[in-house]
Amino acid sequence: MYKKPIILFNPNLPKLSKNERKVLDLLIEAGKLIVPIYLQQENNKYLGANFYPHGITKKEIEKAAIKDPSILDPYTIVEKRGGKLIATPYHIEYEKLLKPVSDQLFKAAQISNNKPFANCLRIQAKSLLDGNYEAATIAWMTSKHPYILDLCIGPIERYDDKLFFVKTSYQCWVGVLDKNNTERIVKYKDIILSSRRKVLMPSEKVDYYDKVQVRVDETLIFSGLIARTMFIGVNLPNNVNLMEEYGSEITVFKQTNAYRFKNYVWPAFNKIFSSEFKKLFTSEDIENGHLYQVVLHELAHTYLRYRNSEKNLQDLFPIIDELGASVMGIKVCGSLILKDIMTQKQLESIMIAFMARNFNLILNEKNEKSKYHYMVGGTIFLNYLLESGAVKEAGGISWPNFMKMFVSLDELASILERLLSQGTREDAEIFIKRYGNIDKLQRFKKASQ
Amino acid sequence: MAKIVKISSRKKVYVTSKGLSNIKFELEFLKKEKRTEVAQRLKTAREFGDLAENSEYDAALDDQILIERRISRLEEMLKEAQVITKAPKTDFVVIGSTITIEMDGEVDKFTIVGRVEADPSKKRISNESPVGAALLGAKVGEIVEVATPIVRYKCKVLEIK
Repeated sequence: MYKKPIILFNPNLPKLSKNERKVLDLLIEAGKLIVPIYLQQENNKYLGANFYPHGITKKEIEKAAIKDPSILDPYTIVEKRGGKLIATPYHIEYEKLLKPVSDQLFKAAQISNNKPFANCLRIQAKSLLDGNYEAATIAWMTSKHPYILDLCIGPIERYDDKLFFVKTSYQCWVGVLDKNNTERIVKYKDIILSSRRKVLMPSEKVDYYDKVQVRVDETLIFSGLIARTMFIGVNLPNNVNLMEEYGSEITVFKQTNAYRFKNYVWPAFNKIFSSEFKKLFTSEDIENGHLYQVVLHELAHTYLRYRNSEKNLQDLFPIIDELGASVMGIKVCGSLILKDIMTQKQLESIMIAFMARNFNLILNEKNEKSKYHYMVGGTIFLNYLLESGAVKEAGGISWPNFMKMFVSLDELASILERLLSQGTREDAEIFIKRYGNIDKLQRFKKASQ
Repeated sequence: MAKIVKISSRKKVYVTSKGLSNIKFELEFLKKEKRTEVAQRLKTAREFGDLAENSEYDAALDDQILIERRISRLEEMLKEAQVITKAPKTDFVVIGSTITIEMDGEVDKFTIVGRVEADPSKKRISNESPVGAALLGAKVGEIVEVATPIVRYKCKVLEIK
């Protein structure tokens, strides 16, 4: 499954018209063509993957970027020619591979009966060839809702650039709207985002609470980076300015939730907790807990988006940001319980699913480079709980105390929000060193195998 | 405090007059239309023969059970209902108050209603929820503790309408 960066799913789709079916087939074909492009970018041996010359130092790149800012542009490949660093835009570097992708999208646009969607496809197709990704993002955010088909394609996520967290990797997903689940989650989103949280640095806060869209998709294809990360939910765009103006779109992928639950979360749950404790939860409790944890994580990003946190925390930003969103997402459940919107059992299931997911990341997925930031975040989370006494360990088995866990998560959420709103890279580094030690968690290894 | 018109001495279900008419409307609809409709479906399905492998009959029977359960629940509600007439303006929280609170660094505004009418997506929170129960009787500026076995927060009343 992990060799080639492509996953084809076979979901039960809602009824589609013949035209929609034809468009969908073309989009899937376009998605498949992303694979060779991503393979040119991917390289797990180097922190900077194939975005920068191998073996180059951060200082060299930073120095060259002062004279030529395009070196640290999210959409350029950097090479060393004649002792000089040269940046080439993606759409030029990969032109030959991108042309067939773009052609497929133009074909789909030509036959689609849905005018706004066709228009969006044309802008997406054009952006692949001229590098105007901002136009493609704006079109994707604004033109299709609530259209049944969805395509996200292009250089988007930055997780493969572990040197600077700047360069974007190509990826694609194609989905079909799951109307019922979307409506259910939209209701949840409206409840959560309708209350206002106090922010630590109001002048730095990016406020787009009223412009958050959510959709749950039946996914047909993941290709490129997302086929490696196997995300269950994503929150785009990544550009803070676009987010402020156009809001954000959260997409939840049902197929990856089912896959990750079955292969990672449920087996980890069964190995990490005692048989007596496990009797308290059904697999349905944990699967729902896992899905809700992801949804809450994506919604909580809205509370934590500060203007300069990426600049301040640099390459450590994704570790703090992703963990921050997960912990804040769970913290928000406190007020949901008190208002009878969520039950105690649901909150417990969410916390347990998140614990199981992190144990699995650390003990069984630590060599998967695309999940590095999440693995470090999970390590911090579990060490924090162990150190605060919220979770006890005996013979590789975990014994959680839910009340202490919730108090610890509350504290951890405050620390992470402080780092995101006003912390420096040095602050983040000290914090990660303090809690990011994976060795302390190895005693769980025996139980997890 | 809100004036409460007592209808029954059984366990109380607080409803507004609008909520009460909604219950009555739904009950009438179920009794007069849905009951007849499902009875007709059962009759038609019986005519198909063998009830052991008759999916139309099974589906209609399931619907009938659901409808009868709902009718019985609504009738219970009517017996237990205590209608809240429009509350006189008070300086403390009552059922029917729209309040702004601060809790766990979050400012939220909602109306406290009886559990039958609770709908968090419309900012209507049940008087039987932990926060609803804790806030009844609280005044502006007052801080009350709201707790469950896992969550324990302090909640400050900022405004009562």
